Amino acid sequence: MIATIALTLSHFQAMTLFALLISIAFGFLSRRRTSDRVKYIIWSLFLFLLIGVGIGWAMYPFSR
Amino acid sequence: MSEEATTDTTTGLAAGTATADVATAPAHQQGNEILAIVIGLAGWLVPGLGHALQKMWGRALACFLTVGALVFLGVGMRGNVFGSEGGDAFGMLGYVADLGTGSFYFAARALETQGSDVAHAEGDYGTRFLAAAGVLNLLAALHAYEAARGRKA
Repeated sequence: MIATIALTLSHFQAMTLFALLISIAFGFLSRRRTSDRVKYIIWSLFLFLLIGVGIGWAMYPFSR
Repeated sequence: MSEEATTDTTTGLAAGTATADVATAPAHQQGNEILAIVIGLAGWLVPGLGHALQKMWGRALACFLTVGALVFLGVGMRGNVFGSEGGDAFGMLGYVADLGTGSFYFAARALETQGSDVAHAEGDYGTRFLAAAGVLNLLAALHAYEAARGRKA
């Protein structure tokens, strides 16, 4: 049933979704207090996106 | 431990108590270890169950939802759900990673009726989502196991 719903995501959308889900899981596993978890999730998500986009730009000259 | 050793050298009574503690500790610790292993296995089979059994509701829900969402998205993007008949080393690694989702692995296989499509970027991303879900669940199960053993979690 799910397979018939084709998910078409752009590279950035897929990366953002992945980063968000992993950040939430890491935040809940590694921190106890809610405020600490929120800070961790936001910081982790930011770093995921920054490093992802950074690596993307670093590879751009070799993509063609 | 060092406190017990100091007491042991100062009084005979304390030394006897320390000896009794040492004699009873292994059976108690063994029981805890078995319980911790059961909790770890439960956490692997059903994402979040290891934490739920220890009344860590927030972590249990987070594990269940994030692993479930990664599997759902991975299957929706027609990622490759590796089987045991993979053949090469990468196929086996993918199989081990996918199997990390526990019961969700079988759900993913059942739901992906059209098979994988890794010729497109979505399918390739889907494969990574599924593998990440498995590895994340293994990490969560290990966390539940460590928490059950009394480690700071």
